[in-house]
Amino acid sequence: MALLENAFEENVLTTKVDWLLNWARLNSIWPMTFGLACCAIEMMAVGAAHHDIDRFGAGAFRASPRQADLMIVAGTVNFKMGERVKRLYDQMAFPKYVIAMGACATGGGPYFKYGYTVVKGVDRIVPVDVYIAGCPPRPEALLEGLMKLQEKIRKTAVIRKPAHLV
Amino acid sequence: MDFQAIHDRLRAIEAPGLQAADEPREPNKEKKDPGRSGNPFVTVDPARIVEFLTVCRDDSKLDFRILIDLTATDPKADGEELSVLFELLSIRKKHRLSIKASIPKSDASIQSATAVYRAAQWHERECGEMYGITFVGHPDPRNILLPDDWVGYPLRKDYEFPTEYNGISCE
Repeated sequence: MALLENAFEENVLTTKVDWLLNWARLNSIWPMTFGLACCAIEMMAVGAAHHDIDRFGAGAFRASPRQADLMIVAGTVNFKMGERVKRLYDQMAFPKYVIAMGACATGGGPYFKYGYTVVKGVDRIVPVDVYIAGCPPRPEALLEGLMKLQEKIRKTAVIRKPAHLV
Repeated sequence: MDFQAIHDRLRAIEAPGLQAADEPREPNKEKKDPGRSGNPFVTVDPARIVEFLTVCRDDSKLDFRILIDLTATDPKADGEELSVLFELLSIRKKHRLSIKASIPKSDASIQSATAVYRAAQWHERECGEMYGITFVGHPDPRNILLPDDWVGYPLRKDYEFPTEYNGISCE
């Protein structure tokens, strides 16, 4: 062992696989460029300099679902768009996450009673990880939602299959 | 021209299908939200609406070159009629005209205004899907907002809300 002795101490770190993968995932949640209504304006504000979602590693808005990890459903989803939302979600690669941003995406919002074409909550189409209240939510709320999602990812274990996939 | 002058001009040139000049319903002051009274309008025979619009567009005094709105209403849930509403504008003469044509619910069809104003295309598609009105002669009468397989006419007063659509519950 004399040859390798002390050879790695300065260059090798030891950690858990879980920690490493979660660290990588939660610091590079790339959202999909995907705005449906007024909530998207707030989402754009989050992407801009003042709120700067890049601080959380989630500033790379991807124009393709294949490259995205996170779908921020920012706005009212109607049935016609619901089919597209489902298809976009199906096209995303695992691991994938969904944030329902605002009242409409969470539960239909102001269209709950008389919105004949509005999906009353995007969780009827795709599984949702984080719900954000507000109409529309402030940019800080979306950032908090993102941090909640990061907490959630931090708790996932690689060995066990996550509950929402079983 | 004000409304009275426009109406007089329409009478003078014997605009085809012109029936009457009418005033909008007064706002109901007893209600919490009394609503807003609209513009005076002319009622037109729906069978001759295309001729009427052509005259409005081509007459040099009226000069209504722009169709700024085409919509419909369902005034009463138990009523027998739908109203198709047109709003014409003349920028040069600085006047506008509201037109109303009533058609029966049982046979909700009217000649398409697209031959006179091409701007009517999308408006008529929307009226068609929302009120179930057939615009005869429309070049592309598909749904414009609703999905193609949608059942029912949502803006009719007797519309019943769906309980599910393609497996998505609406309750």
